[in-house]
Amino acid sequence: MIEVRDVSRFYRRGVDVVHALEHVSLHIPGGRFMALMGPSGSGKSTLLNLLAGLDRPDTGEVVVAGQALSVLDEDGLAAWRARHVGLVFQFYNLIPVLSAVENVELPLLLTGLPRAERRRRAEIALAAVGLATRQRHRPQQLSGGEQQRVAIARAVVTDPDLLVADEPTGDLDARSAVEILTLLRELNRAFAKTVVMVTHDPRAERFVDAVVHLDKGVLVNGTGGAP
Amino acid sequence: MPIPLAYNLRNIVVRRWTTAFTMGGVAMVVAATMLLAALVGGLQGMLASTGEPDNLIVLRKGATSDGASVVPREAAQALRALTGVARAPDGTPLASPEMLNQPFLHTEAGTRENVLVRGVEPVAFTVHRAVRVVEGRMFRPKLGEVVIGRGALRRYAPGGLGSALAFGRRRWTVVGVFDSGGTAFDSEIWADLTDVLDDTRREGFVSGVRLRVAPGTDGRALARRIESDGRFTLEAKPEVDYYREQAETANALYILVLTLGIAMAVGATFGALNTMYAAVAARTAEIGTLRALGFSRGAVLASFLTESCLLAAGGLLVGAALAGLAVLAINTLLSGVQFSMMTFSVATVFLRLSPGGAALGLLFATGVGVLGGLAPAWRAARLRVVDALHRA
Amino acid sequence: MTYPRLVWKNLLRHPLRTVFTTLSIALSIFLVCAVLTLPGALDAIIERSASNLRITVHHKAGLSYWLPYAYVHKLRSVPGVTAVNHYSWFGGVYDEPKNMFPNFAMDPETVGQVWAEYGFDPVALERFRKIRNAALVGEQTMRKFHFRIGQQVTLRSSVYPVDLTFQIVGVIPRPDSPLFWFNRQYLEEAMERYGGMRMVGWVWLRVARPEDAERVMRTVVDLFRNSEAEVAAETEKSFFASFFSSMQGILRVVLIVGFLVVGAVVLIAANTAAMGVRERVPEIAVLKSLGFQRRPILLTLMAESALVALLGGLLGAAAAYGILGALAAAGKTGAMPFLGPLASFRMSPGVAAQGVSIALAVGLVAGIVPAWNGARLNVVEALRRLF
Repeated sequence: MIEVRDVSRFYRRGVDVVHALEHVSLHIPGGRFMALMGPSGSGKSTLLNLLAGLDRPDTGEVVVAGQALSVLDEDGLAAWRARHVGLVFQFYNLIPVLSAVENVELPLLLTGLPRAERRRRAEIALAAVGLATRQRHRPQQLSGGEQQRVAIARAVVTDPDLLVADEPTGDLDARSAVEILTLLRELNRAFAKTVVMVTHDPRAERFVDAVVHLDKGVLVNGTGGAP
Repeated sequence: MPIPLAYNLRNIVVRRWTTAFTMGGVAMVVAATMLLAALVGGLQGMLASTGEPDNLIVLRKGATSDGASVVPREAAQALRALTGVARAPDGTPLASPEMLNQPFLHTEAGTRENVLVRGVEPVAFTVHRAVRVVEGRMFRPKLGEVVIGRGALRRYAPGGLGSALAFGRRRWTVVGVFDSGGTAFDSEIWADLTDVLDDTRREGFVSGVRLRVAPGTDGRALARRIESDGRFTLEAKPEVDYYREQAETANALYILVLTLGIAMAVGATFGALNTMYAAVAARTAEIGTLRALGFSRGAVLASFLTESCLLAAGGLLVGAALAGLAVLAINTLLSGVQFSMMTFSVATVFLRLSPGGAALGLLFATGVGVLGGLAPAWRAARLRVVDALHRA
Repeated sequence: MTYPRLVWKNLLRHPLRTVFTTLSIALSIFLVCAVLTLPGALDAIIERSASNLRITVHHKAGLSYWLPYAYVHKLRSVPGVTAVNHYSWFGGVYDEPKNMFPNFAMDPETVGQVWAEYGFDPVALERFRKIRNAALVGEQTMRKFHFRIGQQVTLRSSVYPVDLTFQIVGVIPRPDSPLFWFNRQYLEEAMERYGGMRMVGWVWLRVARPEDAERVMRTVVDLFRNSEAEVAAETEKSFFASFFSSMQGILRVVLIVGFLVVGAVVLIAANTAAMGVRERVPEIAVLKSLGFQRRPILLTLMAESALVALLGGLLGAAAAYGILGALAAAGKTGAMPFLGPLASFRMSPGVAAQGVSIALAVGLVAGIVPAWNGARLNVVEALRRLF
């Protein structure tokens, strides 16, 4: 369901030009739980950003569920993300001034749903990640693992096709990390959501369907990633 | 060991906009304070400088100013003959009877104002030592000629010498310009006493008399003698005292300046507090590092306090410059500020930047710098090193 | 969870900072309101006490030139004039020259007609007519010196060689009137031994309708053209206004100061807004990644800035209204002699509205640049900064 065709992306850092991605092509079937791995600076986050419509490639095409992202302008991409992508980050996921349920409700502001309905869905999503009792807590009052679960609840509350996670376990202790990975796999299995995750965590290999390795902006060896 | 000043300076430069805004806020406070103080300073300066140390002013008892006083001609005559009044080399008593009038005069712009016309005899120019005809010549009697003060010139007779002025019942000609050294007289028009008496149909009275006290005579004793003369109801006092009383209105204004300045300074302090708290929060990791390297709490406190004061100092300089520019603009482009005092006449006051105003500005800037920086600096100093580093 | 709630929560993020900013804006708007009151107060005084139905007739050359008393009689027969009165400045001092209030010798017979809209107590007017040394005193002067009706008051004239003692028989029913009126005849009698009184300061005319004023004024000026004393005629409004025109200079300086105050407010508010945005870069990045577009983000950020400024403005305006109102009630304001006839600084709701509007404008202006920058944040750059 995700097609990455001959995509390159580079940045200028002062006088240097950094080639974050070079001619990467990839196909990710729908419903797959895929991990992008590689050393730091390998371009995995860059690739993730492209899949999620957060960034544009300099060359090549990204097509997600039939939608070519290049034809969308910035507002168009934002609207597309709101409906089709759920995002989980490593840090600073949640808005500190909002409670857990308010954080989860946030993406729903972009739909046209009435207030009561928005609240209902947020509560359901929180219950799905096992945090029904911690709804009103602020992020500061939650542990790292709990915060990440709230973030995941937020990511799925709009029922997106694609779930994207950038180092979701990077800041967590071992037990929480496993909980999060388990949760992601459950979402993938139970709801057939395509999940693409960038990670350093070697434990992740156990949970995912496929792993793609990147090094210096180039795919190194893919398992199960070939079209 | 103190934290190097360069650290603070670098941060100020790097956080460009915050610096600009905070300094700007202080600058506005300083500028506003100094500008108002310059207004008061101009007024005070004008009034304080007017008044010769050895002159007496004689008015009707209870008169608020020489524009509101009425003294009978006989009284004026009697004063001339008093012992204790100085005499010119040729024997003329240095007693100047003066008639004040406030006719309407239309300015170039078409507005109608009250202008102060002082009817005098030639002896007035001797009694009022500071007054000197600097352009043209002295007026001749009974010809409707006038000499005009520098301050009034620009406003009422921009055409200069030879201009015709229409006030009262007739037209007058400007034949000279006088300078009185920045005193209140600069806003006046001086004419022949007889002409003025004629114009106002007030024969038999003058407004008051100015006397030069003879050397060796006690001025205050002379004043008391004048006041105790049962024939007339007069009051006499040294010119210096008289003008000081007139200046009291300006003192009331100073209260206004102070109040305004304090209020603004408090507002700016809040702004500075915001800035410094944010700076501390943003630089928590740095503070932790500095402490870990060995700098003491006191050094951290001093450093942030210094930074806050540097911002305030910058604001002070900009504000003072702004005030200076404003004063210059108002004095040259608007030719001063029209100020009407208790008499209904209008004096043109030129703003004068005063040391008092600068001191106030300095005080407020310092206040903002110290008060705005103290609490945040305290917080910075009390950070626990471990916490600070952890947040990095 | 709604947009307004998000805005509100963001303001509570740093309560201290929000409080400081609000207070600082409040303080500045308080000052701005005080400054704005000045020109308004002058206009208000003119509005309140000056009428289109009263005309002044004075010597063309100025108020210090007096008119022959015979003019009063002549003016009575000008068509369109319903009543006539006059003023002659007595310049009387009660206790100290500093505290002098305006006192005039005038005609007790036509007070009720010429100042019909003031609503005088008919009993007071009657006594003013009957009692030779009666005086009517404005409420402001009554308050300031704690005068009572029936009290004897002596004024020492600084213009005439007499001191006169009066009996207060009533008030001029205007709260900011400092005037002191008495019977000209009383003064004339006292002046007999000094050669009498043939002149009058200026004359008041009452017309039936505002439309008549123009015509009457022209008639009056023509009537005395080429005579011994030419006159100028103007409505009471215009007359008062010209007194205040001499304050233009001060007004200008005060307005410049007001402008500087507003400038300071803008800078402080902008600084706070910019700080807020800078710190929230990661959050804005998250919001954008979730799919929030630029416009909602821009509006949310601007709403924060505007809300703080609005709160500050309301607080400041309310404080100004309250404090100035209290001062006015206590009769304290306007006690500065340099302001001359100005009675009280009463802040009008209009000025309060202006103050609040300025605050709101400040919030929007101060917020727009940081908000714009925040909204246009490049998500990827921002996210990168997190790692």
